[in-house]
Amino acid sequence: MSEILGCEKVTKRFGGLTALNEVSLSVVKGEIFGIIGPNGSGKTTLLNVITGLIRLDEGRILLDGRDITKLKPHERVKLGIARMFQGMRVFPYLPVYLNVELVARSIYGDVRLARARTSWALTMSGLLPEAGELPIRLTPYKLRMLEFARILVSNPKIALLDEPFAGLTPDEAEAMIGLIRKFNSLGVTFVIVEHKLRYLMRIANRVAVLNQGVKIAEGRPEDVVRNPQVIEVYLGVS
Amino acid sequence: MVFAKRSAKDLIVGKIPFLIALAVLTLLPLLNVGGFWLDVLTKVNLFLLVTLAIDLYSGTTYYLNLGVSFTFGFAGYSLALLNVYYGIPTEYSMLLAIPISIFFSLAILLPSLKIRGVYFAILSLLVPIIFIGIVTAQPFSLYLGGEGGLRFKQLFLDFARSLPPGIRLTFLQYSYYYISLAAAVVGYVIAYKIGFSDFGFMLRAVGQDEELAEGTGINTLKVKVIGFLISSAYASVAGALYASMRPPVTVDLVVPANTLIPPLTSVIVGGLGTLIGPAIANYLLLLTYELLWGLIGRWRVIAYMLLLIIIITIKPQGIVFKAYVEARKFLRGVFSE
Repeated sequence: MSEILGCEKVTKRFGGLTALNEVSLSVVKGEIFGIIGPNGSGKTTLLNVITGLIRLDEGRILLDGRDITKLKPHERVKLGIARMFQGMRVFPYLPVYLNVELVARSIYGDVRLARARTSWALTMSGLLPEAGELPIRLTPYKLRMLEFARILVSNPKIALLDEPFAGLTPDEAEAMIGLIRKFNSLGVTFVIVEHKLRYLMRIANRVAVLNQGVKIAEGRPEDVVRNPQVIEVYLGVS
Repeated sequence: MVFAKRSAKDLIVGKIPFLIALAVLTLLPLLNVGGFWLDVLTKVNLFLLVTLAIDLYSGTTYYLNLGVSFTFGFAGYSLALLNVYYGIPTEYSMLLAIPISIFFSLAILLPSLKIRGVYFAILSLLVPIIFIGIVTAQPFSLYLGGEGGLRFKQLFLDFARSLPPGIRLTFLQYSYYYISLAAAVVGYVIAYKIGFSDFGFMLRAVGQDEELAEGTGINTLKVKVIGFLISSAYASVAGALYASMRPPVTVDLVVPANTLIPPLTSVIVGGLGTLIGPAIANYLLLLTYELLWGLIGRWRVIAYMLLLIIIITIKPQGIVFKAYVEARKFLRGVFSE
């Protein structure tokens, strides 16, 4: 299997704090890759570095073998990196369909194609009935679906999800798992940052563990949870 | 998409008030309103362009550009310099002044590309203040007229002189009024098209969450630069037309209290980013201000500012747009019956 996303010795410092310290990852095409770790371990910073919202200090980011380290965030989106942000971030005063269509317009340019893709993405995420509503009227689950529609519309090679299960009921989380599995089977690679391990461990093919900006473990979920270093980080005992 | 389209009733209800207002403004000079009010309305029409300049950019992106008065005044000075030093007639120098002023508005944009929020507002306000300093300080004041300003032939003056003396002033007042009205109508229609196009929604996306916009594929830098230049084009057209009709060009054109505060208050009272709200507020507020002169003389400044403070305190998100929405609901009800 070939690598779709590579992080090579990625380092990011904020003043005296090293948020990421020579983190290397290799995500394979078609897999669901989980990133876990306690609060402040650098998970979201890593996603920000991959998407280009934060410039890294050292290291490289590769997409499909191409060095994208110096590309701007919107250029990376066009190359196939889509992102679901932590905390359900949408444009609150734009209707649901525009939240999705603006992404499509930015990527495809062509109005007809953008609108067709938007209709498709809204249908797939079950949001077509709410297309004309403002997002502030949506439930947390529907907001997550809106973020999912925004990912789908960009036809991504890889989707980065930051805590996709946060704020969802168990039934809604199951529906989210179903969607992730469905689009993974259609060829979308996923990188998922998540605190709710009971969901992540069920769907991830491999998991990396970050602690204080350092990758301390990587492997299959069942192996990672037995790793003494990981147990120490999560439970404080080894 | 079906849900993106407005119904025929919505379009009719939306256009009727616009057409009525246009008819009133078009026929107003024929009702013998007098030279003073024609001058006032000419100014208000041109200030609509400045109001739209602020609302199109600052009302959508929330990057508060307080340097609009610089762009407005720079267009006036460009016109005067081209006329005085290069002998280009006012009619042509006015047209040339517009792109020149748009270009120099980059003096506000370029240093501020990496800053946001209040820092952008402060930086943009510094530019007109620096320009005022340049105009009034030697050696520049020798060329720019200092506080006395630069004198030149006003728009259509040569043609007016060929007319009988009795109608010269009337010709100038009427022609200025209809030019300003045409600029206001065309400016509003274009602003509306832009404001509610995909590009306009991208401007709004930048204002609502710039990081999210960039992270989901919108080239926020490009959107901001184009939006700013469109806004500058509005301020430049307004400045060039205004200066061409009211020589001499002085620093009064650049002073924020004269050419920034009135349109800015229209935008705030009208409702940020709504375009129609600030447009209506532009007429209501500026005409009220002139009406107060006849009622209470110099006390009008205090009364007007107190009125604004009360309105903004009670409804900081704007009052005119909400009133407009209610009026439309009422009209829709009338049409349904």
